[in-house]
Amino acid sequence: MRLEILIAGRGGQGILLLGHVLGKAIAEHTDLHVLGSETYAAETRGGDSRVDLVVADREEEADFIKVVRADIALFMHQLQLDAYKDLVGDGAVVFLDKSNVTEIPRRSWRIYAEPYTDIAEREIGTSRVANMVALGHLVGVTSIVPPEAVESVIRETVAREWVDLNIRAFRYFLRLSPHRQTEE
Amino acid sequence: MRYEYVTGNIAVAEASMTAGLKFYAGYPITPSSDIFEYLARELPKRGGHVVQFEDEIASINAAIGASWTCAKSMTATSGPGFSLMLEALSLAVITETPLVVVYVMRTGPSTGVPTRSGQYDVLQATYGFHGGLVIPVLAPSTPQEAYDLTIRAFNVSEELRTPAILLSDAVVAHTYGKVAIRERGEVEVVDRAKPSVPPESYRPYDPLDGIAPPMACFGEGYNVLVESLTHDEKGYYAPRTDAQRRLMWRLYRKVVESAERLFDYSAAYLDDCEFALVSYGPTALSARVAAKLLREEGYRACLVKLRTLFPLYEKGVRELLRGVGKVFVVENNVGLYFRELRGVLRDKEVISVPLIDLDVPPPQEIAGVVKEWL
Repeated sequence: MRLEILIAGRGGQGILLLGHVLGKAIAEHTDLHVLGSETYAAETRGGDSRVDLVVADREEEADFIKVVRADIALFMHQLQLDAYKDLVGDGAVVFLDKSNVTEIPRRSWRIYAEPYTDIAEREIGTSRVANMVALGHLVGVTSIVPPEAVESVIRETVAREWVDLNIRAFRYFLRLSPHRQTEE
Repeated sequence: MRYEYVTGNIAVAEASMTAGLKFYAGYPITPSSDIFEYLARELPKRGGHVVQFEDEIASINAAIGASWTCAKSMTATSGPGFSLMLEALSLAVITETPLVVVYVMRTGPSTGVPTRSGQYDVLQATYGFHGGLVIPVLAPSTPQEAYDLTIRAFNVSEELRTPAILLSDAVVAHTYGKVAIRERGEVEVVDRAKPSVPPESYRPYDPLDGIAPPMACFGEGYNVLVESLTHDEKGYYAPRTDAQRRLMWRLYRKVVESAERLFDYSAAYLDDCEFALVSYGPTALSARVAAKLLREEGYRACLVKLRTLFPLYEKGVRELLRGVGKVFVVENNVGLYFRELRGVLRDKEVISVPLIDLDVPPPQEIAGVVKEWL
């Protein structure tokens, strides 16, 4: 098994934290191997933020640091969807933040589109945890890592006063059946 | 043993502690600085010392001095800092001082793009210091390899009594990976040989029957001479051709004749290979994907990733690539290590694929260049 995962959005959306939590959960709580790279712009807000993960059950198959053809992708913003859509392979599972994505390209992807940012704001009380709402959705649908593993990494990684909010956000889609959404 | 999700730089720092690091001296420089930061926090907890000096010259000299107290020593830097360290590196070579220098390459020359990557310094790592000898250079391409090769660099430096270079770069430094971190006792750790003779009959530069002379350290009751002048086995200045010849050949041979034992590589698709992509460092990851893409198109491509760059085990490389037609040397510079391999593979067509990129050259670009030559 070998999977390429692409996580992308704008600076300030928590892309790097999302990618780090996912990579760390996979590396430290499953038998899978993983290589991950982070790309971010010099600006604190608004630039390109991107995490590439290559995951495999054999160490030598976790063989590259960049996504060539993503099997799983999560786009938190239209700009990055437009910029990186050609890195996403046919048949890929794609998650979109509908709060920031309006034009969905016609591709043979399995698309899950939900307004992560609006959900975070409405249900959790702050849009700052939209990344964890999205991560919960991705983990629920793909089952790439046990949710408890992700929660344990959140507890280790996130500043203490933010842990509960992040975990509530992460659980949003896991509490609902993650497959309830219609595929677009 | 535990698994952690860490960057190449943190893997280096963790590995150095497992290998027995007791003294780190450094001057911060991107992209090596987090090795320093991490050790500043962690090494003192394990009984070691971390000191920031006024520059790289002082740092490497302090590390050399510490090694002579039998503290395993390390420094880490990047191109501009390594250039400053070269004079002292030569001192470490002639005094046969075990020392690990982590060279985290960045885009150069000079200040270049300090936060980005490249492999421009692959030859400087071993040919940069004056004196015309060779020191071991090990090149990781992933955080796990950074971990494993750092321990190996310590072991080699202890066994051969030589400075050894771990040649990383900005990509490896900042790439995260699942790394198996081992404790002392879970991995082979080599310590330098100590004299077995009484102090009065000890000759500090006499290798006896071994590869490197047993090393007495300061404070152990032996007369210790740290001599940078050409010296005889006692460590006395010997400005004579016969002494110079003896010393030079011994220092040269102890490294070069260890090439077979130090040879480290991995290969993919080698048993069904018409032409080989040879690469090292993170560029080798890209080259592996390129080989895969080429094979999907029906080309019989394979990959050989070299982890030991110096000393180059010439016979081993020739045997490895015996059945291969063309050899493509893929690297992120103007084609430097290509020169080494071309000299070794004289009966083959060896083609340089020098692809300069601030990160790693994309696999599609490598595959495209290779196809032009087929």
